[in-house]
Amino acid sequence: MDWTTLSALVVDGLAVGSIYALTAFGLTLVYGLLRVLHVAHAGVYAMGAYAGWLAFSAGGGLALALLAGAACAVGVGLFLERWFYRPLQGRPPLVPLIGSIGLFLAMGDLLRILFGPYQQGFPVLPPERVAGPITLPQLAVVGATAFLFLLVYGVVTRTPLGVGWKAIAQDAEMAAAVGIPLPRYTQAAFALASALAGAAGVFVGVYYNQIYPTMGAVPAYKALAVVVLGGLGSSWGTVVAGLLLGVVEAVAVAFLGTRFPPEGVAFVAMILVLLFRPQGLLATEPQG
Amino acid sequence: MYAVTVLTQLCIYAILTLSLNLVTGLAGQVSLGHAAFFGLGAYTVGVLTTRGFPFLTAWLLAAVVAAGWGLLLGSISLRLREDFLAIASIAFNFVVVAALLYLPYFGGAYGISGIPKPMGSVAFSVLVLATTLGVAWCHERLRRSDLGLAWMSLRESEAAAEALGVDVRRFKVTAFVLGTGLAGVAGGLYAAYIGVIRPEDFGFPLSVTLLAMVAVGGMGTMWGPLAGAFLLGGFAQAFAFVHNYQLVLYGLLLAVVMRYRPQGLLGRRPT
Amino acid sequence: MTILEVRDLTKRFGGLVAVAGVHLHVQAGELLGLFGPNGAGKTTLFNLIAGSLKPDRGEVVFNGQTITHLPPHLRARKGIGRTFQVVQVFGELTVLENVLVALAHPALTRWLPLGRYDPPGRRQRAMEVLEKVGLADRASELARNLPLGLLKRLEVARSLALRPKLLLLDEPLGGLNLRESEQLLEVLLGLRGQITMVLVEHNVRMALPVCDRAVAMDAGRIIAEGRPEEVRRNPRVVEAYLGEGGDA
Repeated sequence: MDWTTLSALVVDGLAVGSIYALTAFGLTLVYGLLRVLHVAHAGVYAMGAYAGWLAFSAGGGLALALLAGAACAVGVGLFLERWFYRPLQGRPPLVPLIGSIGLFLAMGDLLRILFGPYQQGFPVLPPERVAGPITLPQLAVVGATAFLFLLVYGVVTRTPLGVGWKAIAQDAEMAAAVGIPLPRYTQAAFALASALAGAAGVFVGVYYNQIYPTMGAVPAYKALAVVVLGGLGSSWGTVVAGLLLGVVEAVAVAFLGTRFPPEGVAFVAMILVLLFRPQGLLATEPQG
Repeated sequence: MYAVTVLTQLCIYAILTLSLNLVTGLAGQVSLGHAAFFGLGAYTVGVLTTRGFPFLTAWLLAAVVAAGWGLLLGSISLRLREDFLAIASIAFNFVVVAALLYLPYFGGAYGISGIPKPMGSVAFSVLVLATTLGVAWCHERLRRSDLGLAWMSLRESEAAAEALGVDVRRFKVTAFVLGTGLAGVAGGLYAAYIGVIRPEDFGFPLSVTLLAMVAVGGMGTMWGPLAGAFLLGGFAQAFAFVHNYQLVLYGLLLAVVMRYRPQGLLGRRPT
Repeated sequence: MTILEVRDLTKRFGGLVAVAGVHLHVQAGELLGLFGPNGAGKTTLFNLIAGSLKPDRGEVVFNGQTITHLPPHLRARKGIGRTFQVVQVFGELTVLENVLVALAHPALTRWLPLGRYDPPGRRQRAMEVLEKVGLADRASELARNLPLGLLKRLEVARSLALRPKLLLLDEPLGGLNLRESEQLLEVLLGLRGQITMVLVEHNVRMALPVCDRAVAMDAGRIIAEGRPEEVRRNPRVVEAYLGEGGDA
């Protein structure tokens, strides 16, 4: 395999990995606070994609689409936190898990009812080469993701949010006892997680030039794998894990051809990690 | 005859939900891969009976095979934090389906067809019903036994259970073995009843459905999972008239029940 | 007679030494209080005795048997009961059923213990234990509905049902108001002499007076040991507590 092909694969992997990272980051963040797998997150992602697409169809460009997607996602995410997750705190984790799965199914089907079961094109960026093997959509996705995570890093380190979130994840009772307002911090987390997921949805639409109602299913599985690889306690771990998974998948598919399903890579990796390093590749395990 | 088909199907769901209830409702171990054990049981009967083995032997082996893999998953669960168990069980489900799909021995995507029914249709349906009643009896016996109490105690607080002398690790594995074994029993019946089985019949969506049945019906009791099996199993039939809106209604049903009645419709005493 | 002995017990967490070579004797029938400021290592020591933590060095000897590496459920069967700092009741079970769990344990040694968990004999014994702590009238209520004060008593009842020779109490007064604290202490005083008890407690004012003997810790070491009043007035102890804001 020559350098050009390999580098093209790596860039593709980084782009796809960026999307995984954006979705999984929020998932880990919410998990750290609530100890619940927010499966409906994938539904938020899909709704964000459609909102962005609507903005684009109304004549907007990429920036507007991203804004619309993120805004819609945040709205839905905050609603879910308020109406569903908050009242169920203290219940066995199975309860919000099942409900969350129900919400995910309902959201996907709602999108089908509203917009039809077929895919919609999302040709915001022409897939032309910009620098070497790198295409415009790839540049946009990777570049925008890097920028977004820079913002997130700033939020986490410069504002009390980051410290608060870490404290709550370690010991929610203690955090409340020292005066951290749990509801507001949880809302902030949901807002951030959903915004990133909405953006990810728009990016996927732009990158593959299509959105469809059940598009949430794939990131739902992949995000789980990424979260396990990165370690359930570490948000930044999931970012690294997401990028890594994207690249490994791209390269593996090229080498293994069609005999091995691409989802298989994620699952094999996940199983290996679960068996030999259950705390994740880079986890900072919050002491229970 | 249609009524008998539906009833038989509901009976199979009933055995599945009761068996899952042992693992998840009573012992509190979230298993999102229960369909895999159903499939392992089904394929055991499918493979053996199409090669001439008598149904009863194949059926017994179906339970043993499923329970054996359940023993594996249960042992692995001991090494994982609780939340990882759910994810691990999903992975397990996918691996089993993938193996059934890609290993040529199991017929690949076409699965196994021409599975013989060991007796006439009506008689077999009676067998299914009888098995269901038998499983229900076992379930109640277990629920009211020391083992059942041990399971519930470790579900509520492993630390406290241990401090009271309960061997948490051993009983977790026992829950898996018994629960998955019964799923294998259901699988064996299903294979002979329906005659054709494919890997996709035993995938993650079915695992989710089973778990939803247990959660919505009411974890931990006997009538709860049965109600869940009846309600969600018959959902497609009951809501056939809103065929286009089935999935969104189903999803909303799950969300709303969990939100407003987290112990399930027939769950144990509301707060 | 020494019922529990701890020899040279050490536990590290990363670079932090939580318990440093601690030696301790507990006499049968006494009520021993373990005190110290936050971070003194008393909870870690407690967990090492109860079995939820394994030491890096040292031994725990109970009734002449070395139990250092015995898992918690086997320690319970040997006669060590414990309560938890953050209450760990079985919320979805009734008060009576909570106690019945403790009574199931002889049967639980079998692989498939299929006997009913509530035969009349056991119910009777469970009710007796509940009466001892004053919870008999709440027997059929779900544990999750009880207020904290009663839950603490339920934890004690559960452990008592095991007929332990040693009862370890982890901050039993934590989170309780004055009246609830008095009620719980009353229950414990009622057990005095029949069972050996070791309690870890932050509320020195209320807990110290009920102890037969007190041990004070700071920075992983025992700094004072003896009669409660002596320990309280010990200058090293006063200093340790003042360092954290004064509590004695």
